[in-house]
Amino acid sequence: MCDPIFEYQFRLILIGDSTVGKSSLLRYFTDGKFDEACDPTVGVDFYARLMEVKPGVRVKLQLWDTAGQERFRSITRSYYRNSVGVMIVYDISKRSSFENLKEWYEEAREHIEPHKAIFVILGHKADNEENRQVTSREGRRFAEMHGLKFFETSAKTGQNVEEAFASIAKDTYQHLQDGHIKIEEGWDGVKAGFSRPKETVQLAEAEGESRCC
Amino acid sequence: MASLSSGSSRDSKAGFWKKNSSVPGSIKPVYGAQYPPPQSNISISAKQPKKDEKGKNIKHDAFHEFENKTSDAWDDGDDDLIQMANLKLSLKDVHTSAKVVLDNHSKKANSLQKQQEGETANHTIKGLNSPQSQSQSFPHHHHHHGGPGLGVRLNSGGYQPPKMTSIRYVTNAAPDREAARIDKFKAVFAEPSLDLNDLRKLCWSGIPKSVRPTAWKILSGYLPTAADRRQETLERKRKEYFGYIEQYYDTRYQDLHEETFRQIHIDIPRMNPLIPIFQQLIVQEIFERILYIWAIRHPASGYVQGINDLVTPFFVVFLSEYIENDIEVENCDLTELSQETRDLIEADSFWCMSKLLDGIQDNYTFAQPGIQMKVNALRELIKRIDVPLFNHLERQGVEFLQFSFRWMNNLLMREIPLRCTIRLWDTYQSEINGFADFHLYVCAAFLKRFSEESLREHDFQGILMLLQNLPTLHWRDKEISELLAEAYKLKYMFADAPRHLLLKS
Repeated sequence: MCDPIFEYQFRLILIGDSTVGKSSLLRYFTDGKFDEACDPTVGVDFYARLMEVKPGVRVKLQLWDTAGQERFRSITRSYYRNSVGVMIVYDISKRSSFENLKEWYEEAREHIEPHKAIFVILGHKADNEENRQVTSREGRRFAEMHGLKFFETSAKTGQNVEEAFASIAKDTYQHLQDGHIKIEEGWDGVKAGFSRPKETVQLAEAEGESRCC
Repeated sequence: MASLSSGSSRDSKAGFWKKNSSVPGSIKPVYGAQYPPPQSNISISAKQPKKDEKGKNIKHDAFHEFENKTSDAWDDGDDDLIQMANLKLSLKDVHTSAKVVLDNHSKKANSLQKQQEGETANHTIKGLNSPQSQSQSFPHHHHHHGGPGLGVRLNSGGYQPPKMTSIRYVTNAAPDREAARIDKFKAVFAEPSLDLNDLRKLCWSGIPKSVRPTAWKILSGYLPTAADRRQETLERKRKEYFGYIEQYYDTRYQDLHEETFRQIHIDIPRMNPLIPIFQQLIVQEIFERILYIWAIRHPASGYVQGINDLVTPFFVVFLSEYIENDIEVENCDLTELSQETRDLIEADSFWCMSKLLDGIQDNYTFAQPGIQMKVNALRELIKRIDVPLFNHLERQGVEFLQFSFRWMNNLLMREIPLRCTIRLWDTYQSEINGFADFHLYVCAAFLKRFSEESLREHDFQGILMLLQNLPTLHWRDKEISELLAEAYKLKYMFADAPRHLLLKS
């Protein structure tokens, strides 16, 4: 099997209330598919996709899809630590999922420290205009208030899905270039990938990964 | 379909649900033969010869052939295993005994083979003869997927044609033996005071379909061992359940319980999206009532996603009592049953699910300590029984929680087809604390079974994608029996290990 070449690997996590559409969003992003119904996620599921952050530079996104139900929080919390990006998702047709944004945001920040992470806010199911309970303005205002980017997305129509992931990938890449985020031993948020064969990144990474107990 | 207020919008969704889909942990379809949907058969059969060429003499209907050859090995042989239980065995002894048992079975099966060839025409079991079910015996459901994480590896080498070992296939082609076995069950049921250990021994290696509902009700502790008290108990418990409904079901819109019911009400329509029976509103309402009543009567855990899956096997098994032999359970139209019959199925499912959950409630209480403990125990077990795999997972930074949380939370139901879960539960209910303790050994055997495939994956991503989309869609009783034999061996290897060592957190 040959690995596609990528410069970095970023780990992202999707959080938000149950049934806001986190799994559908990820499935659309990684597989281009939309299913009207799917079994509720329990614990955490894993997805991955390559993405270009600027011409000729690709990163691998490893994506954790978390269960939204309260009872799973003690499990899902442990995934924050190794994430460099957090997408907080709400459902534009369900007011309560928007009202819980703040709680999700605070929980994520608390568990990510001392590491830095990029956050985006996603108002999902944007195709469901007739049942909208949260205006775009409200969503944007919440994001701006916290200095975050905002998108309204739909896994049904594909609206903004690519854009949202591209945005978080590019911002992470930029922060890395600027030195705001660094590759750190023992932290899986960002890792060096495989670039040109002559480099020894691969070896270094393999060593870095062997965590002995 | 009965109509309620939300009925029409649900109906319109039903079309979408039947689409092929595969995501990590999606319930694998399957009791009888409806899956895969007929329209996908063409591409499947077109693909199949490719697989067949790999196996030496496997013909197009390899499954049928396999089914005929794998006869009732455990039927007589299970006594060997049970006797082993009474001995303290060293590791070496266990290995030797297991080998002898398996060898014996092979011989028996071979000698039976000829005899059975003449009997193949007599299949009476639902679904097994239909073309759909034959095509089911190969992994194919993912062939349309290209994206990561969605079973792309299913067709890339993990699969080998089934070896012709002699593990019993419960619903198979030996009517006489099967009939004799059913008689044995009926004789045990009829004993004035049934010996639960006898029944457990009998059930451990799989329960014939026709006696399964009764066997499950007794094994779970729902029905008493005293034969003459059973009917009275059934009636009383059924009344009790509907008393709860009357008393509590109206509370579902009250502030205190609103959130519980809301979550159940959202989850039920989206579970089992590929199985037609679960698209019926009347079935969804049964599940909602069962789960809601259970949840509010168990406030320490309440309703946790995953518990909804646990109703399904009971419901399907108890339903099978009331439908014609030639109707697929999963295609059954529940409106054709009387209200009274539906009520019986509902109440029985509720009580048996409650009994099951009594044994694993710490899986669903705050912080899910039961699951955390089992995941740790699984890790400790693998560390001892499969060092290369353990080291591989460690080196690649794969944590057990990342793939086995769901195995514990949903009792492997999202990893194997429903028919296999049902067979698995025959054994779980025959073991003391089967859903807690023995399940752990089954998980270890399950992971070990995919050891080679896992070792072939050279990075974190590859391993995790494999482990959350394991190629089990073609699994039948044979694979479960092998898994159980391995789990049984593990149980005896570690039965003497100090519990605190194994289950430390």
